[in-house]
Amino acid sequence: MTRPAASPPEVVVRVSGFVKRYKQHRAVDRLDLTVQRGEIYGLIGPDGAGKSSVMKAIAGVLRYEEGSAEVFGTLVDSERAAERVKPRIGFLPQGLGLNLYPELSVEENIDFFARLRLVPEPELRKRKSRLLAITRLDRFRGRLMKQLSGGMKQKLGLICTLIHEPELAILDEPTTGVDPVSRRDFWAILAEWQADKGMTALVSTAYMDEAARFHRLSFLSHGRVLASGTPAAVQSLVPGLVVTFESSPQLEAVARLKHRYAQVESLGPLLHVFTPEREPEAAVAGIRHALENLPLEHVRTDEPELEDVVVALLLKEREEQPGVSAGSDHSARPAGRQQLDGLAVEAKELIRDFGSFRAVDRVSFDMKQGEIFGLLGANGAGKTTVIKMLTGIVPPTAGEGRVAGADMRTAGGAIKERIGYMSQAFSLYLDLTVIENIRLFAGIYGLARREAQQRMEWIVEMAGLTGYENDRTGRLPMGVRQRLALGCALVHSPRVLFLDEPTSGVDPIGRRRFWELLSRLAREEGVAILITTHYLSEAEHCDRLALMYAGRIVAEGTPAHLKRQVERDIGQLMEIVADKPGLALGHVVAAGFAGAALFGTKIHVLSRDPGRDEGRLRDVLARSGIAVEAVRTRMLSLEDVFVSRVMALEQAAQKEVSA
Amino acid sequence: MTARQQAVTWGRRLAAMTWKEILQLSRDVPLLLFLLYSFSLSVVVSGAGITMQLTNAELLVHDADHSHSSRELIHRFQLPYFSFAGEISDPREGLRQLDQGRVMLLLEIPPRFHEALMSGERTAVQVLVDTTNAPQGLSAAGYSVRIAGLFGSETGLASAGLSGAEAAMPRVSSAHRVWFNPTQDERWFQSIAHVLRMTTIFAVLLPAAALVREKERGTVEQLLVSPLSPFQIMFAKVLAMSGVILIALSLALYGVLHPVFHVPMKGSTGLFFLLTTLHVFTTAGFGLVAATIAKNQAQVGMMTLFVVGPMLLLSGITSPYESMPKWVQTVMTFSPLRYYIDITYGVMLKGAGLDLLWKPVGAMLLLGGALFGFGMWRFRRQFQ
Repeated sequence: MTRPAASPPEVVVRVSGFVKRYKQHRAVDRLDLTVQRGEIYGLIGPDGAGKSSVMKAIAGVLRYEEGSAEVFGTLVDSERAAERVKPRIGFLPQGLGLNLYPELSVEENIDFFARLRLVPEPELRKRKSRLLAITRLDRFRGRLMKQLSGGMKQKLGLICTLIHEPELAILDEPTTGVDPVSRRDFWAILAEWQADKGMTALVSTAYMDEAARFHRLSFLSHGRVLASGTPAAVQSLVPGLVVTFESSPQLEAVARLKHRYAQVESLGPLLHVFTPEREPEAAVAGIRHALENLPLEHVRTDEPELEDVVVALLLKEREEQPGVSAGSDHSARPAGRQQLDGLAVEAKELIRDFGSFRAVDRVSFDMKQGEIFGLLGANGAGKTTVIKMLTGIVPPTAGEGRVAGADMRTAGGAIKERIGYMSQAFSLYLDLTVIENIRLFAGIYGLARREAQQRMEWIVEMAGLTGYENDRTGRLPMGVRQRLALGCALVHSPRVLFLDEPTSGVDPIGRRRFWELLSRLAREEGVAILITTHYLSEAEHCDRLALMYAGRIVAEGTPAHLKRQVERDIGQLMEIVADKPGLALGHVVAAGFAGAALFGTKIHVLSRDPGRDEGRLRDVLARSGIAVEAVRTRMLSLEDVFVSRVMALEQAAQKEVSA
Repeated sequence: MTARQQAVTWGRRLAAMTWKEILQLSRDVPLLLFLLYSFSLSVVVSGAGITMQLTNAELLVHDADHSHSSRELIHRFQLPYFSFAGEISDPREGLRQLDQGRVMLLLEIPPRFHEALMSGERTAVQVLVDTTNAPQGLSAAGYSVRIAGLFGSETGLASAGLSGAEAAMPRVSSAHRVWFNPTQDERWFQSIAHVLRMTTIFAVLLPAAALVREKERGTVEQLLVSPLSPFQIMFAKVLAMSGVILIALSLALYGVLHPVFHVPMKGSTGLFFLLTTLHVFTTAGFGLVAATIAKNQAQVGMMTLFVVGPMLLLSGITSPYESMPKWVQTVMTFSPLRYYIDITYGVMLKGAGLDLLWKPVGAMLLLGGALFGFGMWRFRRQFQ
């Protein structure tokens, strides 16, 4: 204890000048961070930004080289100091359920952690039933941990971390790889414990769209803080507007816009441009000018999302760092390939049983060449099994289908030659170099030497791998690895590309670049792309989506169509900015507003009639003496669509069981 | 596609996969060092160090006679088999030292030993042997009996006035001619045995580890959706690893066995390498089957230990195959090492050819085919 009296009591964590080195590599470089009591503080950043190192050091399980990390006023610099603060801390390490015991049941895991922390039995029973209720795990008390889905494991991990009611919870990427519904449950517990018990939480995430849930946050990149403050303060660092519109031909429009704007994305039929302009008229005029004579339709301007701001910050960081190029402007085209058209995938009534369990139940859908088709669903919904059937790894129990023009049941070999596949793990050989990986896949697909050489040159240029050719794959940044994996999947010019959660662990710029590649492949070459993802903000890029639940497709259509459908069912999303949000939420819930939830300092509710409800909301809060700063309607996100659909289905399934 | 084009594509695929395995192995420096050590230094150590022969057995003597004859008998217990640990006057002291394990044998010579011999009376000496280590103890006892017996008969002949050579009485005498290992150099057997052990361990472990690593990293999915057949995926590993093992084996053969221990190669070197390849392929089948069951490298390590352990102990290099119970022998008909031992000693030391070895070769071919088939079936099945 160096300065016991000097620390103001409300500061729970104070990190200053923190440096962590792994050999020569500086994982964290002079980082400062202050977390106050009762706040949910976010650490956001891509893989390798240094989030885990900071969190481990604060939890007292990692040594560091320079600077200081103080927790509850105690300098955590030795094992003994760490032991002093550990009883007041809960730490959830990164990875799904890594702190749990697979052979113990849900309840046994909780009991174990509680007894380890000497929680009295009556108290344990009370907390356990409350935590199991909010996470909706109470039905699975007796189930072994190893039989839980990823999302459930993570919720159980959180329960075990919180069972001794720590004053400070340190949660390292608790929502990575967790389906959106479980993610909402997760945030519900955190919000409740923060409000009821005054718990402080330090949470890291790679999901930009979760940033709004934090009171304050730091955005990390390469071990340094790029921006920090409240979400609103970070947002105001890069002022501007986001303009969404349609134009055609889309690729030509993108090319023209790119001359002028740094952030141009195509989301299915839509284009999404971040402009520095602050007035909507000026912003649209600027875009119209850039497009020259191309049409400009269905225009909409919005406040930028945090992700737009973060990408702008990252782009600025890269410009300032010489030697790190923001990526070459790749105009490479494969020589002499003809445009593909027709149906790429036809699935008819596909069924797959594993023993008595039906993993996929009468799934039918079509995919055209040149289409990007997204398959969404929680873990265990059957997405992966569908992909495995279409790629010929698993034969269907019943049903039929054609992939790349060949019959699934009889022409498995032909299908395999015409499709490309890229998995979550990127499926590269990390001990081989970039070139060796490409050459291997060229050999696997039986390419002759000359052809292989041509494709290799194309892949290196297309995926922006120039300069990395002879590097070991294991040493490449995730974004580069991902593009290499895509390149390897494309080595034989496939007609259909299957991507199974291909963007985990890649930073926002890398992800945008990846999507740009995908839309070029689809638009220019007519490759059909089937993609599964947990990242619902990414699903916006798809032309069409299918939502899977319990082995069936329960909704299908364009993103806009799906959103409209859900808006009809549950209403529009309203966001309320008020002081004392915790208190305000109570009043909003008491007044009977549907779907009320806390998002950081903002309250979200659903409304079928926003005009009328805005007045009611203002009335309710004014009567309670709470000042309302703003009430606005927002577009539903695909995550809202997903969660609302799945929750409705889960409720229906439960009713069926109880009936 | 014509049949020829198909064959070219097939070959290209196999070559790409095999080259990949070799590249990956060449980047695994710790494994390479371990491989190098196993086939060089470790062969030297075990060839020079391991011996089943009785050496330096500590002998304690209680001589109650102190005569010419007793001294003569004691002097016949010689190095390298026995080492003289001293003389005691109290026989209880001898028993104590035996109990404490400080000596292995206690030789007790009774008083009037010389007198009895000279006068033609019956007399006896006693040898107490610690047979905690059964093979050593039993051979110590055996040697002692032979020494005492020879001493007795020679003394008997001498007292009858005859020297051994002049003895005209009818008796059977044995004359040894040692074949295949004329100097009875045990280091030949032990160093070859060690090379066989290492060959077997690596033949199981290398392909199994390579396959499981693909499962762990998820790269195997990528291979499954490619036009590769399970056979190409698995065979490429065996091919690459066999090549590496053969190189390591040549190192052991030409770097250690020949120059250090002067082990001969009586038969055809080509045949030896060919049959070694067969052994490696067959044994690799076990590893591949294990790899289709295991989920990670630790598991596959444990499983290969289960397979390789008994194989090494019971196939006939650690103890003679013939002396094992019938059921163990039956189980060991499934051990490729059992046949490979016959083949190796046959080719290297006896100069045997295929005409003599067709039985073990046939057995290995059958076994290898069955294992590969089973492994491929498991490989296909595990992903469905």
